[in-house]
Amino acid sequence: MAIRRRNDRVNLSPFQKFYLLVAGAVIIGPFVPLLIQSFAFQWDWPNVLPSEWWWSARTRARLPQGWDYVLSPYSRLLEATVNTVAIGLVVMVICLAICLPAARVLAREKFRGKNGFEFFLSLPLIVPESAIGIALLMIFIRLGLAGSYAGIIIAHLIPTIPYMIRMLTAVYQGLGREFEEQAYILGASRWQTLRMVTLPMLMPGVVAGCLFTFLVSTNIFLLTFFLGQGRIITLPTLLFSKISGGTLDASAAGLTLLVSLPGIILLIVSERFIKEEAFGKGFGA
Amino acid sequence: MTIEHGLTQGKAEPPSWRLLLELAPITLVLALLFGAATVLAVAQSLGFAPWYGINTFPDFRYFAALWGSGIFWVSLGLTLYYSLVSTILALVLAVLLSLALIKAFPGKGLYKYIYKLPLMIPYTVGIALAVIMLGNGGMMSRLAASIGLISDPSQFPRILNTHAGWGIIAVYVWKQTPFITLAVYAVLLGVGRETDDAAAILGANRFQIFFQVTLPQILPGIVSSTLICFSFNLGAFEAPFILGGGFPDTLPVVAWRYFNDADYTLQLQGMATVVSIGLVAGVILFAYLAVYRRYERQRGRA
Repeated sequence: MAIRRRNDRVNLSPFQKFYLLVAGAVIIGPFVPLLIQSFAFQWDWPNVLPSEWWWSARTRARLPQGWDYVLSPYSRLLEATVNTVAIGLVVMVICLAICLPAARVLAREKFRGKNGFEFFLSLPLIVPESAIGIALLMIFIRLGLAGSYAGIIIAHLIPTIPYMIRMLTAVYQGLGREFEEQAYILGASRWQTLRMVTLPMLMPGVVAGCLFTFLVSTNIFLLTFFLGQGRIITLPTLLFSKISGGTLDASAAGLTLLVSLPGIILLIVSERFIKEEAFGKGFGA
Repeated sequence: MTIEHGLTQGKAEPPSWRLLLELAPITLVLALLFGAATVLAVAQSLGFAPWYGINTFPDFRYFAALWGSGIFWVSLGLTLYYSLVSTILALVLAVLLSLALIKAFPGKGLYKYIYKLPLMIPYTVGIALAVIMLGNGGMMSRLAASIGLISDPSQFPRILNTHAGWGIIAVYVWKQTPFITLAVYAVLLGVGRETDDAAAILGANRFQIFFQVTLPQILPGIVSSTLICFSFNLGAFEAPFILGGGFPDTLPVVAWRYFNDADYTLQLQGMATVVSIGLVAGVILFAYLAVYRRYERQRGRA
């Protein structure tokens, strides 16, 4: 009896099995009609599957309708992709440069007001995005930064900094001081130690932080939309303008799939880079 | 000698200036952005907008006009309702999910990829999925028709574009359940199973174990992740804009409409809306953290 109950607590209960199946279906399921929609030629209500697929109509349509539009220059897909990736990369580099030194201090030094400072660094996570977005827009208009790459990159630092700093601090905490002290003892300068000892050991965490920062930046809609003033489009804002009417045609379905692609690729490449430490941390309590 | 000298030098250095230098960039960036945004938002909402030829600072007219209209309170109520309901739903689903995830099961490796998928993609994708699944001509409606429940798209219950907001809530829950799961799961991994086992040996049943042992342990993860989700939902724009029920809109959409109005003097009222969002978020989050810290103190943890 006792053994059975223990087993029950190590293995899944029937309810949990059911729950995991349903949750998985709810997460992946919605992508199925999206795929169907993007390859359908004729899909009237109430058919669960299209009455005519693109394949049977291929003499009339060179590509599936959705993909034909998405891959044509009219969709501005290329421009949005280049913008998204370029902004993401620049944000990633700047974010790393300003977070790395601070992460060292947070992981290793004790100072008065440290809890308060950590709370301050978490502020971007709990200040409503639209409030900060609109206020920044007003400032950026005065400074001539609205609708510029510089303005968007600066704004993207706000939501990315808290994640980068948390991930880097976690890595620094896991890295003891001994190795650096060894290097000093062997006569290495501070710069040599940083370049040849500290950085290589930090590398896995730095890569993880950079990938996640890049991901957060590529997924930002509101700040790009508000501060880009329609002059700079990225994948999320492009999709927004396509579906803002509240309907989803074949080309919007194709676009949705493409906009999901960077996240899916990053997830497949490395599920592990999403460090749990960055999420489990509290609010300076 | 020289070695020791180098070492002691490294340690004896007054840490303060180097420390400050290392903390300076991040502090400057955040303080400048938040400070400037706060100062400008408050000043402009109180009548300071010389670039439009308006400067009656301090002038509470814009707040009076905003808070004096019944519509503002309806908008505020809708904003709070969507944010709160979706955060609570996501929390319950996430706790159930993380409790299942710490157990061993076949395919767990794959499942840990799958459940993170919504976390990886933009909200606009989630909105598109809601449209294709939950719209009146969407997949659920087609399935309902195929089993003979309805014979016309209009008979399918309206989920999107109503003030009940189930479409908005569905998108938030779908996107945020993995986020809260990640936070709770991280804490669960950290605490291990010893205390659970001890409670089980002492004869506690499953519910007692959850509410008296597990829940207090995962509370820090719950508080920080729900805090983030709730304030995100308060300030979110795209989901209520596309999936909302129209006038009256949520506060971020209201603010955005003020700023896009041809009458630019409405921007001052828009800024009063922005400041109101900030105030509401600040008061609620402060109260939430205060209650939580009090609880921790009572348990002797803080």
